[in-house]
Amino acid sequence: MNYRSYFKAEWMSLLRRKQDTLNALLFFVMVITLFPLGVDPSADFLAPAAGGIIWCATALSVLMAVEGMYKEDYNDGSLEQWLTSGLSVTFLVFLKVLAQWLMVVLPLLLVLPLLAQMLFLPMSVLSVVMLSILLGTPALFFIGSIGAALTVSLRRGAVLMLLLILPLYIPVIIFATGAVRAAQMEMVYSGQLAILAAISLVALTLSPVMAAISIRASVN
Amino acid sequence: MNWTWFHKLGSPKWFYQWASNWGGRCVYLGLMLLVIGIVWGLAFAPADYQQGNSFRIIYIHVPVAVLAQSCYLGMGIAGFVALVWQMKLAPVFIKSVAPVGAVMAFIALVSGAIWGKPTWGTWWVWDARLTSVLVLFLLYMGVIAIQNALDDQVFADKAVAVVSLVGVINLPIIKYSVEWWNTLHQPATFKLTEKPSMPMEMWLPLLFSALGLYLFAAGLAMWRMQSEVLKRERKANWVKKEVMSHGV
Repeated sequence: MNYRSYFKAEWMSLLRRKQDTLNALLFFVMVITLFPLGVDPSADFLAPAAGGIIWCATALSVLMAVEGMYKEDYNDGSLEQWLTSGLSVTFLVFLKVLAQWLMVVLPLLLVLPLLAQMLFLPMSVLSVVMLSILLGTPALFFIGSIGAALTVSLRRGAVLMLLLILPLYIPVIIFATGAVRAAQMEMVYSGQLAILAAISLVALTLSPVMAAISIRASVN
Repeated sequence: MNWTWFHKLGSPKWFYQWASNWGGRCVYLGLMLLVIGIVWGLAFAPADYQQGNSFRIIYIHVPVAVLAQSCYLGMGIAGFVALVWQMKLAPVFIKSVAPVGAVMAFIALVSGAIWGKPTWGTWWVWDARLTSVLVLFLLYMGVIAIQNALDDQVFADKAVAVVSLVGVINLPIIKYSVEWWNTLHQPATFKLTEKPSMPMEMWLPLLFSALGLYLFAAGLAMWRMQSEVLKRERKANWVKKEVMSHGV
C-alpha cells in the first residue's frame, strides 16, 4: 500500500457505495424542506434566510456523512492495517477526508442551484453561497473527522459526536452566512471568504494530527 | 529556568502528599476571601450611578465567568501536556476540573440572565459574550460526555486530552467570530493589566471575590484530583499505606 493506491482504493469504494452519498444529499434536501414548512413559505422570509438555511443543512449533512467514515475500517481491521503499514496515519487521514469531501460536496454543489430557486435566493448571490461552501466545508470535514475517530469504537457514538463537534462548527457558519448576507446587501464579502479559507487551512493542517492520535488510541 | 516542579508533577504520590497539605488551605482561604468580597460588594460598596443596585451581581457574575474560561484554558494546557509528555496527572486534572468549569459556565449564564433582565429588559439576548459562554458550556459538556462514554481508561484519557486541546484552539476563533457577529455586552470590567475603570471601593471587593473563587476552585480541583489519584493508583504500595494509616 502506498498513498496513491490508498486514495484510489478509497475513492473506488466510495463510488461503489453511492447510497451513502445519496443519503447525505437527501438529508440535505430534507432539512431544507423543513424550514418553509415549519417557519414560513413566503419569499419575504425565505429569500433573506436562504443562506442561513442552506448552511445549517450543510453542516448537519456533513456531520451525518462524516460520522461513520471510519466505522467500516474499524470493524474490518483496515485501521490496524494503517498502523502497521509504515505510512503516516496523519496523511492517510488527510487522503480519506479529501475523498469524502469530493464525494459529498461536488454533488451538493450540483443540487444547490435547484434548492436556491426553491428558497427564492437571488441568482447573483448563488455564486457566493457556492463559493462559501467550497471554501468552508473542508473545515467541517476535517474537524468532523476528529470526532469520528474519537467515537469510532462506540456503538452509539453519533449523538456524542454531534455534541462534541457542532460547537466547533459555529465560526464557519457565522462567517459563511456573513459572506452571503454581505453579498445580499451588495457589500464587500471577500473578507469573510478569506477568513473561511483560513479556518479551513488551519483545520486541514491540525485536524489530521489529532484524528491520527485518536485513531491510534481507538485501535489499541 | 528550574524545571524541578514540572518533573515532580510526574509523580502522583508526590502530588497527593502536596495536595493534602495545600488543598484544604486553598479551599478555606478562598471561601474566606469570597465571603468577604461578596459581603463587601453586596452591602457596602457604593451603588452604580447608572445601574443602581442591580450592578451588584457583578461580584458573582464576573469572577464566575472569568473562572469558567480559565478552567478551560487549564484543561487545554493539560491536554497538550497529556499528549506530548504523557504525564499521568494531566488527564486526572482534566477529569477533575471539567465539572467545576461546567458549573462555573452555568452560573455565569444564569447570573448573566438575571443581570440582563433589569439592564437590557430581557433574560437573554443573542449577544457575543452570552453566546460564547453558552458554547463554552457545551464544550464542557462534550468533554464530560466523552469521558463517561468511554470505558477504557487509557483511551478515555487520550480522547479527553484531544477534545480539550481542540476546544482550546477553537475557543478564540469562536469568541472572535461571535464577537464580530453581534455585540451588546459591556466591555470587560476586569483587566489586571490596566488601571481599573471603576472606582477603588467598587473594584477591590471584586478583586477579593475573584481571587477567593480562584483559590476555592483550585482547592476543590486538588481534592477531586486526590480522590481520582487514589482510585487510579489503588494497586500502588503507597496508597495502601496511606489508606491503612487512616485506620481503615
